[in-house]
Amino acid sequence: MLRERLVDALGADAVKTSPEDLAVYAFDAYSESAPPDAVVLPTSSRQVCATVAIARACGVPVVGRGAGTGLCGGAVPTAGGIVVSFARMNRLLQLDLPNRRARVQPGLINLALSEAVAGAGLFYAPDPASQRASTLGGNIATNAGGPHCLGYGVTANHVLELEVVDDRGEVFSCSIDDIGYDLTGVLVGSEGTLGLVTSAWVRLLRMPESVRVWLAGFADIESASAAVSQTIAAGIVPSAMEIMDAVITQAVEAAFHAGYPTDVGAILLIENAGFEEDMQAGEAAISRICRDAGALFWRSAKSTAERAALWAGRKGAAAATGRIAPNYYTQDVCVPRSKLPQAIAVVREAAADHGVTVGNVFHAGDGNLHPLLMYDKRDRKQVAGVIGAGNVILDAAIALGGTISGEHGIGHEKREAMTRVYTTEDLATMAKVREVFDPARSLNPEKIFPRGVGCPEVR
Amino acid sequence: MTPPIVAQRVTPGNAEAVAELLATCDRTGRAVIVEGGRTLDGMGGAPTRADVALCTCALDRILTYEPRDLTVAVEAGMTLAALAGQLQRERQFVPLDAPLRKRATVGGTLAAGWLGPRRHRYGRPRDLIIGSRVALADGTLARAGGMVVKNVSGYDMSKLYVGSFGTLAVIVEAHFKTLPLPERRRAILARLPSGSAERAVAHLQALAVPPSAAWRVTGFHREVPGDDGDDGRLVVFLESTETLMERATRDLRSVLGRAGVPAATIIDDGAYDSFERVCDALIAPLGERSVTYRELGSPENALPRCTALMALAERRQLIPESITDIMNGDRYLRVSDRDALAFNTKIDAFDDELHTEAPDAIVVAGQTAMRADLAVWGEPPRTLARMHALKDRFDPRHTLNPGRFIGGI
Repeated sequence: MLRERLVDALGADAVKTSPEDLAVYAFDAYSESAPPDAVVLPTSSRQVCATVAIARACGVPVVGRGAGTGLCGGAVPTAGGIVVSFARMNRLLQLDLPNRRARVQPGLINLALSEAVAGAGLFYAPDPASQRASTLGGNIATNAGGPHCLGYGVTANHVLELEVVDDRGEVFSCSIDDIGYDLTGVLVGSEGTLGLVTSAWVRLLRMPESVRVWLAGFADIESASAAVSQTIAAGIVPSAMEIMDAVITQAVEAAFHAGYPTDVGAILLIENAGFEEDMQAGEAAISRICRDAGALFWRSAKSTAERAALWAGRKGAAAATGRIAPNYYTQDVCVPRSKLPQAIAVVREAAADHGVTVGNVFHAGDGNLHPLLMYDKRDRKQVAGVIGAGNVILDAAIALGGTISGEHGIGHEKREAMTRVYTTEDLATMAKVREVFDPARSLNPEKIFPRGVGCPEVR
Repeated sequence: MTPPIVAQRVTPGNAEAVAELLATCDRTGRAVIVEGGRTLDGMGGAPTRADVALCTCALDRILTYEPRDLTVAVEAGMTLAALAGQLQRERQFVPLDAPLRKRATVGGTLAAGWLGPRRHRYGRPRDLIIGSRVALADGTLARAGGMVVKNVSGYDMSKLYVGSFGTLAVIVEAHFKTLPLPERRRAILARLPSGSAERAVAHLQALAVPPSAAWRVTGFHREVPGDDGDDGRLVVFLESTETLMERATRDLRSVLGRAGVPAATIIDDGAYDSFERVCDALIAPLGERSVTYRELGSPENALPRCTALMALAERRQLIPESITDIMNGDRYLRVSDRDALAFNTKIDAFDDELHTEAPDAIVVAGQTAMRADLAVWGEPPRTLARMHALKDRFDPRHTLNPGRFIGGI
């Protein structure tokens, strides 16, 4: 019956219900859940509206999905229902070059936008490591970050206007220039629980006139972290500062030959972008800070190709760990920048205590840690170790004044951990927004909020 | 219409006292007007009920400041100037840029969601805030975000409170990203001869080293120094490193020269004062005989829009003065008359006409009694029903700032 109604509204080609088609939608890049009852691939907002209306009539939930690169179960259904895949709503709708903005459909791939506007000397700043695959809709849902957040801010800082399909299957729009409550501000990062974004105006930035990329090698993560802290304390905010430890650099070198030294304990990848005059002064200051922090190695990328190679290694780091273990779990926590050394010490200890191999690759400039806990999922003992170590790291981040997700989101995986950072009152206040936008909790249920917060759990 | 008289003014000393006061008022059906430095009293609707005025001015401390982390947590009643003073010691700042910063408070600036001139470069208040603590009408104290610069743990509630005009909750504490202070600041003033403004504005918007702020000003002679040419005058504010300032200035002079703008005055000592004067002018009233409107828009058509709005005022025999924010596209229009009585007879009709032409224009400065008859918030946005629903959920008895915000919220 559900299938018939969806086919009527969207056409047979846009509706998948066979078990083999549905199976893949039970996964994201990390988690696994039950498959949905149906997957739809709409091509317009109107079809999204029709889908939500049908779901409402049939009493089944709706889960939005971009490329499925998420790591916390945000885009996988937990109780069946309809998955709305935005794969076919992937167009760049409008370019407004004089005002440097673009209107995009949610299924447009992040990198495709920057590529499309490069000729005009512009780019879209948020660049999650998944940017070759992940979609702007998914990025908006998770308020995605990326290495360049240090210099340019997160997704929320770059979304100007949204068109959204609400829980009743009706379209509304909101803009950051609207007088009134900042609905755009709460929708970005709401993980599909307040509505389904069907198009967005996003900000484009002018390409910097000068970009420098440097690589520094250190004996350990602690001294690399100290260099990061001291750079920022000196009043220099580069566009990106990324640290990788030896576990990661060795895997990257084996996989991609990015040109990373493998005989140091940690490397610091720094990008600075801006005006030529400032870059020269910046290079002198940053290289001095790194030397003073004990850098054993310093290299300046000489060409665009060399810069790209250094970045390719970073962006492929997680994939490269496949050489070490068949599976990995990326923890995502954020701590105040000056607490990085303590946080790293906890990560190392937690991994050792649980007998897990850990590789660290993270957005050091933002205090955003990504320990990769490596394991073989066929081994129950290893799985338990990863879960245990992941929990210790979460608690440590909270104790250090940090948070349980810097950029990946809460999804299904971390919903119960929300009570560790927020009080019942904090969560109940957040739930008021959910009650206004989606009182029946039909949009991406069982995400973000722990069980029992706000109204009683509907499903 | 006469606004209600506040019966009682209370100045709680901490967040818990704010919450307690709200809970009591909420229970007993008394409306609470939230006040910071009262610098933006000329904005918004008059309250429909006002029993208690809650001043946040005693909440004036810095709670945590970690210069190495580039973050600061501050209580809501601290003034922008006091916060700036503390941060300056570490050569940092938070670019909130509201008018009258010696009186304007952090909480008030956030609640108003004031959009300053440097936002094209540093972001809006919503982009600078990373965490908050608020007191809800029922006395609940709730936190959101924290002292980290990236945080995706649930809804970004802080953004919801920014620009909510104190109608959802009372902000008692705010956490910000701080930025390193620019090494150098420089203001540049110039007269704009006939026919030069359009080209000057286009060149300024295209500069490789963009100014932090740039305005085309006409009138405002009491508030902003300098003489108008036929096309008004220009105030440009540059911020950069020591080494970059030379190029920024050279390029600016060169494009002004090409636009037919003669020699400009360079101000190094007191550059920030020049910047601040324009910020203050945006809401400066002329006694009881002026109203100032703001229309947001794209930088591309800022100047023609400004000209069109000024012509509208002239047709109504009102004296128009304008400040156009060149980098963001905002137009500020102050209309006045030499005679207060004459002004009163003209303003209502002008308000109607203006809103036909510019439905989203809002009043940023106008006397309370006069504002009652004006469309102070312009046309309500398409999402008004959802806003009412949020208001009813957060403040079901409409205890907080009733009537002050858009759509009678």
